[in-house]
Amino acid sequence: MNRLLLILPMILVLVCSSAQARDFSDTSADAKNEISAGSPFSQSKLIPDISLTLDFSCLYRNVSDKKYDTLKSPEFTLASTDEAAHGHDIEEMNANRGFNLNYAEITFYSVVDPYFDLFAVCHIGTDHAELEEGYFTTRGLPLGLQLKAGKFLSSFGRINEQHAHNWDFSDNSLVYKFFFGEEGLNEIGVRLTCVVPLDFYLMFGAEILQGENEMSFGNKGFRSINGAVDRSGSQGPDLYTGYMKTSFDIGDLIVFTGISGAAGKTQNNHGLDYVAGTTTGNAVSADSYIVAGDITLRYSIDSIRYVSLQTEYLYRRQDGTLYNRDVLNNVTISDLRKKQSGLYAQFVAKLSKRWRLGCRYDLLQKNEVKHNGMNAREPENLPRYAGMLEYNPTEFSRIRLQYNHDLSKYEYETGTPGRKLNQEVIFQYNLAIGAHGAHAF
Amino acid sequence: MRKLCITLFILLFASSAYAGKMKVVSTYPYIASIVDHIGGDRVRVNALARGDFDPHTVIPKPSFISKLRKADVLIINGAQLEIGWLPPLLKQSNNPAVNPGSSGFLDLSTHVKLIDVPKSISREQGDIHPDGNPHYYLNPHNIPLLAKAISEKLSECDSRNSSYYKSNCRNFITMWNQKTSQWDSKLAALKGKQVIEYHKNYDYLLRYYSISLAGTIEPLPGIPPTSKHIESLEKMISSRNISFILMDVYNPDEAGRHLSKKYGITFVKLPHDIGAVPEANDIVSLFDEIVRRLTK
Repeated sequence: MNRLLLILPMILVLVCSSAQARDFSDTSADAKNEISAGSPFSQSKLIPDISLTLDFSCLYRNVSDKKYDTLKSPEFTLASTDEAAHGHDIEEMNANRGFNLNYAEITFYSVVDPYFDLFAVCHIGTDHAELEEGYFTTRGLPLGLQLKAGKFLSSFGRINEQHAHNWDFSDNSLVYKFFFGEEGLNEIGVRLTCVVPLDFYLMFGAEILQGENEMSFGNKGFRSINGAVDRSGSQGPDLYTGYMKTSFDIGDLIVFTGISGAAGKTQNNHGLDYVAGTTTGNAVSADSYIVAGDITLRYSIDSIRYVSLQTEYLYRRQDGTLYNRDVLNNVTISDLRKKQSGLYAQFVAKLSKRWRLGCRYDLLQKNEVKHNGMNAREPENLPRYAGMLEYNPTEFSRIRLQYNHDLSKYEYETGTPGRKLNQEVIFQYNLAIGAHGAHAF
Repeated sequence: MRKLCITLFILLFASSAYAGKMKVVSTYPYIASIVDHIGGDRVRVNALARGDFDPHTVIPKPSFISKLRKADVLIINGAQLEIGWLPPLLKQSNNPAVNPGSSGFLDLSTHVKLIDVPKSISREQGDIHPDGNPHYYLNPHNIPLLAKAISEKLSECDSRNSSYYKSNCRNFITMWNQKTSQWDSKLAALKGKQVIEYHKNYDYLLRYYSISLAGTIEPLPGIPPTSKHIESLEKMISSRNISFILMDVYNPDEAGRHLSKKYGITFVKLPHDIGAVPEANDIVSLFDEIVRRLTK
């Protein structure tokens, strides 16, 4: 199946590469003549906008790959058995020292008919492929309403909706990575948004989602080996999000701000049933709530240069039950209450047509975890600092150098967990061909 | 809470005060100025992009979405000049009245003959426009074509005021033709002269008045000048008689100024849209200023 997914878009791209990407306005007589010169049944003008983005990086890290895999941000990173238990769809970006082919992304977009637009993104790693997004949006609902349905990146928060090639840094912020995983809150469901007809931008939106996100939600259910614990998982959607976003201009300054909330059921198995190679495991059943606030300020110095400041704060609360499996496969049940928060703040300056630089401060702030009312005293205030310098030969190619100074990780191999400084230098190439869709703000 | 309600009420009221007028949104200020002449007090027109910034790379401000959301008519330059910023805004504003193909949408580029339509397209050639050069409005002889298209679109969307728009359009074209004959006689003096441009912004004007383009400071469209390219320009300059270096107001002008100084060529900063320079404050003064700067 995966191989098919990989080959199919490739063939399509090859077939389509000779045809020009369609814009939305061309009706020139020359273009018409061109078609009629070929097959009378040619549909080449109806080919959707197709693009291919490739992300490649070269990385240096001060710890070995093996050691890096064992480093954790306590209670933010999932148990180490988790990957074995679930298998992650999306590989971590910049995972290995040396060369990384992070992804190729094939995007298809077109108008379906007067009523719908269709959009799909195939995310292709070196050994797997998956449909990262595939959704339709409506074109003509009244009252400024728009319905989106399918698999898509939630519009929760500011950065969640953006694809990796659109980020200002080579990796996602820590808080997003730990609350939603490498590819963000990406779910199957529906979204309804409304742009209010005012003199400034005001948008309300709500989503009903399946709730499969394994970092904060999850609905697969779990069962202990002896059958004493049996959670069937949820039937149907059980994740709800809502947000309000607004924007206005003060002279040359753009202010864009929003608040978001998500509420859902968490049923997550980290090896409660037996997983090969593990001795213990756990599972969580909880009600989870995440709220977020974001603000972006962007000031245009002139037509080319700008400075921008973007920050987001996320807070997560989980109330539920923790099931722990010990070496003898006995399950102990305890009351679990988590209150966690994190933020990032980034500054980016475009200095000339080709050069940009930026810095980012990441913080996993609050980390209060209580088992049966007892505070586990997990480490709090875990920071990471990043700096980047970017050279963009054109808008279709980007070369970025980034340095990460990561103080958010702990090593557990030695008796007492200790903080381990993790330094990374990332040299990233991001190139795009085909129809180049403009980016939203 | 009460304050918020009052504010919202005032805002709603303020926007309903314009309810009687047709709401037109244009992508660039020059279009808004033509709409102003034709629509008079029966339309309210808003331009999205700034006239002093690069028309190719407009920041897709969320505030544009709210303008598009309420628009009855959207008028664009077309020829892919807006490709880098308008499509996501249109999608987000979700206003079926102004989507391409609907009656409230007008692409002005379909009403003029575009030049430099590339035979083959590859981004090897830089950021080229597959439909041809989109800066067609900088030839004053194209403006009446645009005015007619705008008048027809306004009449179609607001048929009650059709005769009003048509008579405004006739008056505008009469006035415009008088101005154009003045500009023609002034620019006739430049016939046969050779110029260098930064980007191919003014080709429609140059071609109409038989001014020949000897080269561009950009090696390829959208690519900033390199020292190697400047070297080859210098070689070309020394063998020819270049009269002007034409520069827009938004790109870095160091390379142009350097060539101007080194070879004693007149350096002319030309407005490309309304607001690019203080003197260009409507469609007429935009051309007055272009002609004045070229014939100074």
